[in-house]
Formats: sequence, structure tokens, C-alpha cells
Amino acid sequence: MKRWKRIGTTVAVAAVLVTAAAVAAQAAGDAPRHVEFTPAEVAAILALGPPPAPPRDPTNRVSGQPAAIAFGARLFSSLSLSSTGTVSCATCHDPARAFADGEAQAHGEGPGERNTPTLLGVAGQRWFGWDGAQDNLWAQSLRPLLDKTEMGGSLSHVARRVRDDPALRASYEAAFGRAPPSRDEVVAVDVGKALAAYVETLPFPRSTFDDFRDAMARGDRAAMARYPLLAQRGLAIFVGSGNCTMCHGGPRLSHGEFHDVGVPFFVAPGRVDPGRHGGIEKLTASRYNLLGEFNDDPTRATAMSTRHVAAAHRNFGEFRVPSLRNVARTAPYMHDGSLPTLRAVVRHYSNLDENRLHADGERILRPLGLDKYDVDALVAFLESLSPPLPPSR
Amino acid sequence: MKPPPNFRPAAPAARALRAPLRLAAALALAAAAAGAAAAELPIFDAHVHYSHDAWANLPPKDAIALLRQAGIKRAVVSSSGDDGTQRLVAEAPELVIPSLRPYRNRGEIGTWVRDDTVAAFLEERLKNSRYAAIGEFHLYGADADLPVPRRMIALARQYKLVLHAHSDVDAIERIYRQDPQARVLWAHSGFDAPDKVREMLRKHRNLWCDLAFRNEHGANGRIPAEWKALFTEFPDRFMVGTDTFTPERWHYIGPHATWSRAWLADLPAPVAEKIAWRNGEALFGFWKPPVETH
Repeated sequence: MKRWKRIGTTVAVAAVLVTAAAVAAQAAGDAPRHVEFTPAEVAAILALGPPPAPPRDPTNRVSGQPAAIAFGARLFSSLSLSSTGTVSCATCHDPARAFADGEAQAHGEGPGERNTPTLLGVAGQRWFGWDGAQDNLWAQSLRPLLDKTEMGGSLSHVARRVRDDPALRASYEAAFGRAPPSRDEVVAVDVGKALAAYVETLPFPRSTFDDFRDAMARGDRAAMARYPLLAQRGLAIFVGSGNCTMCHGGPRLSHGEFHDVGVPFFVAPGRVDPGRHGGIEKLTASRYNLLGEFNDDPTRATAMSTRHVAAAHRNFGEFRVPSLRNVARTAPYMHDGSLPTLRAVVRHYSNLDENRLHADGERILRPLGLDKYDVDALVAFLESLSPPLPPSR
Repeated sequence: MKPPPNFRPAAPAARALRAPLRLAAALALAAAAAGAAAAELPIFDAHVHYSHDAWANLPPKDAIALLRQAGIKRAVVSSSGDDGTQRLVAEAPELVIPSLRPYRNRGEIGTWVRDDTVAAFLEERLKNSRYAAIGEFHLYGADADLPVPRRMIALARQYKLVLHAHSDVDAIERIYRQDPQARVLWAHSGFDAPDKVREMLRKHRNLWCDLAFRNEHGANGRIPAEWKALFTEFPDRFMVGTDTFTPERWHYIGPHATWSRAWLADLPAPVAEKIAWRNGEALFGFWKPPVETH
């Protein structure tokens, strides 16, 4: 309650400051350089930031520990964890590509069927993966090591590499304060935890929008005016008529849950990606979920969501709502990478095929019916969720 | 039968042991048979669509194969553009019970009630093909009294067809005011709470309910008390359905049947059988498949 009071006070102050600044500017005869947002829109905009700082993970005993972070960084680029010695985490999560790969669908040791999500800002999610088949980052980090189309390894392969490679072994001992134990599964899960400790350190990059949002919070009209007017108009659609914040709200620009947004989910003739429905089945069956023995939180308070999750018919073909932070750097889009550009994504929602949505299932989704100017504006806003590109030389 | 040459009668103690062993074996066999029967409980799927966008990804032969793999005994199928239904009837007349939607494409879900050409479409289709039902149609509140829905309800009476209504309580009431003898299959049980469903079932003897796209009555294989009481009070009035509203969801027919069998197992076997398939067979018992000509 106190938090809401604080937010309410901040919104009121920001709205007064913004309005006062606008009145003063108009009195001075300046041309308007920003959209006049309503108090409700100001509140919605302020709620989109600041970018969340990476949290410490109570389910991972080495979260935030420098030795584990260093071990995780080493593991992240290690080809030896894959069965063929040709693929590392960085193969698909390329640091030079915002920790994604720029491909429609991932390709590790074999062809994948889903788009590689960025790792920037991934820490602190409730569910991981497009289908939410993991409820923690260390299980999510272990999963691709064991997946035959990604790194194709096994618990024993991973454990053997750590035991046999002197550098990895030394890093393990530094991170966990003991030699790798004899049980392969324990070593492999620890590898997942070290990888998670590293991935947690990859923050959302600060964006052009964040500068605007913070300026709005301060009532700093001059700083607000540096945010492109077209992006401001797109932002007005985003928090207003587009109702995009229903799912892409909060500092992450995602509520982190799952929806069917009308994207087909056939992966091949006669085969579909069941999305969240399959994810819940995997999650509840997983030895590495937060209800299991490897959760380092002895209270299991962190397992509340997992304890209560149950598959519903609507989950079939639902996929996790991704964060929009840094979205301009992570094309292509959607769970299967089927939309190549932000413009294509905006058009998808503009012309949404309602016939693909159940009449009582996804009531919040309606075609936005945007004209070309609105599309341009929304794309400009989405592009502003990334840091500005360095000037080309 | 003559005993083999090395046959020796069992000692009395062995004979005494053999009887309980036989009984145990018989019980084990019976239990295994019951388990298998439960696992293979046939399903009458009362809510299947096969619309125009399904054909390319799922040809009729493949669609029928999915139904058979899932252990679907029969299915009430409708499509936007009726051609999909006809293709499935042609492929498996003994399996598919055709229902006529008042939609030529799925985009008409929200417009059909005020589109006069829909009545002519229904009349033409009913003259030229046989159906067991009209629906699933989406009809809410006072729209049920508009001319096009009125004509549809009259056609159902004329051709003695079931109405498969995705409707609120108000529209269901208006249907019954127009035709008190109408047989209505209430899609999704109106997404209403058990108390409201009970009230409607008590009030209308010719109302049946499908449970498509609902989870609350059977999540995790357990039926909540309010639903169990409802199924017990009206064991003859419910049936299950998958609702394949997109082509991909045909691949959910199998998982849905498995899910249905799991929660049905929480009911007495006779009630479970009724909801699984007997109620569908009873309501659509009048339907005679077309004679195959090929």
C-alpha cells in the first residue's frame, strides 16, 4: 500500500511539473515539443521504468558471488560442454548481437524450432523460455546443455568436463568451495547455477525512452524535448488506445506470463509447438524446478507459483510475453522468429486475425487498426526502447 | 480333457492355496481390464470445428486419423464455410456428425445476426445436405430475437435439428421462448458458474451442456464438489468437447481426450460413461450417417 501511495505521489508531482512546464513554454511562445499526456498516461509511462536492476536469486546459493560469476563467464563460452565440442552458449547468445543470434530459429547442434531470446535483463523473471518450462534461471541455463538440438550433452558429459579440465575444475572449486562431487547431477546443476550467476549480471541496457521517462518524473521539459516527437506519439498509443501495457507493462515491459497472440504454431506438417501447455507439463515433471531438491531456498517460499501452476486448455499455443526492452536489437520476432521487423510486428497487431483467437479466451486482443502514421509512431517508440546506436563512421 | 501322463493331484494344502491365488489372479485380470477400459473410455467430442484454414495444414484423412488416435467415438463437427464439414463427413461418415454453422467464413462470427444473406445460406445448405445440428453459433442477449437468428431457430425446428449455441443465459431463454421444444446444446455451458448452469438445466428439459474450453470442473483430475453435485444431479445432460477453433488445435484433441478421461475417472463409472459418450449418442441418436457410395 505504501508503495502505491509513493507511486501516486510521484505521478501527481510529475503531472503537475509537466503541465506547469508546458504552460510556461506555451506562454513563452515555444512550439510544443512533446505530446500532452493525461495524468493517467503519465502514470502508465512512469510505471514503465526505471529498468529493473538484476536481483540476487535466493534459489541459487552462488548468485551474486564473484567466483561463480567468473566461472559462469568461462562456461558460457566453453565449447567443450557440447557433445561435439562445436557449440557454446555464446553460439546462439552472441554478446555482439545483444546475446541473441539474429536468426529466425536457433541452430545449435541441430536445427531448433524457436527464436533465441536475448539474455539481457533476463534475471528476475518468474518463468523462463518461450513456454515457461523452467521456473528458475539455473535450470534454464542447464537445459540447453542437455538438449540434443542445442548442445547435445548429458549430465555425465558436463560433469566429466568439469572434473577433467583443470581450468574448469579450478573455477568450480573457487566458486563452490569444494571439489566437484561424485554425483554427476550435482555437478551439472552447479554448472547451471554458475551460468545463471553470470547471466544475472547482464542488465537491460539503458534506453532513449528511459531518459524521457526519468525526465518526465523530474518534470524536466528540456530533457523531455530531446525524445523524438514521433516516438512520443507512439508511446501515447502504447499506453493509451493500443492498450499494449496490459501485457507489456511494468519496468520490464512484460508481465512475464503467456498469451496466444494469433501467431500460427505449426512447426511442420502434422506437428505443432504446444507452447505453454507443453511447458507446464515439462515444468511440473522437472527435477530442477523450485519444488525439487536443488532449490537452495530452504523455505521454498520461492516455489509458490510452481506449486499452484496447472495446465489449462487455453495454454495450448500460448507463449511468454517477452520484454520489449532493447527490442530493436533482437530481431526477428515472435516465438518462432516469423516476423522479421518491428514494423511487421506492429502490423500483426494492427491487422490481428481475431478468428485465430477464442471468443472467450483472449478478450483483451483486438486489431489495432492503425494507419501508416500510427504504425510509424509505434515503431519509433519501440526503437526508442534501445540505447541509441553509435554514430556511423 | 485327459491329464498329461506326469500329472499328479495337488496336495490338499496346495489346493487350499490355489483357490485364493485363482481369485487374486481373476481380480488382477478384472482390475487390469477395468483399467484398460478406463484408459480407453470412448469419447463423444461434441465441439469440433474444421474451418477453411484447417484444410491446408490438416487434410481430411489426417484429421480423421487424429480423431481415431484420440479414441473419439463420434464428433459433432462444424466449419466456417460448410465445406470442411462436408469433406470430413465424406471421409468418415460413421464418425462425423455434421452441424451447419451460419458462417461462410469465421469473420462472420460478429456480423451474422444482422446479415440477411445468412438465412438464404442456411436454407440452401439445408435443402442440399443433411445435418444433425445448426451451430456452433455465437448469439447473445436480445440479438436472439433479430430476424436472422429467428429464421435459423425456425429452420432448426423445421428440420428437427439441435441448436449448438455459444450464448449467454438471456439468449438461451429467448431461444426457448421462440421454440419451447428446441433441443439446445449449450456450448461451454455458457461459461457460467455451476449454480447458474443448474438453474438452467432444471428449467429447460431440452437443454444439454458441453464443457469445451473449460478447466475448472476437472483440473488435475479432480472434480470440485459443486461440479460433482451438478454432474450427479444431471448425469444425462453433459458432454465433453475440444473446440478446435484453429487448425493447430486439432493436435489438442488427443491431449484433451486424455485430460477428460482423467477427471471423468473421479466420477462413478456409469456417470463418467454418460458424460464421455453416452449422452452424445443419446442426443444425436436420431442421426443416421449417409450411405457410402464409393
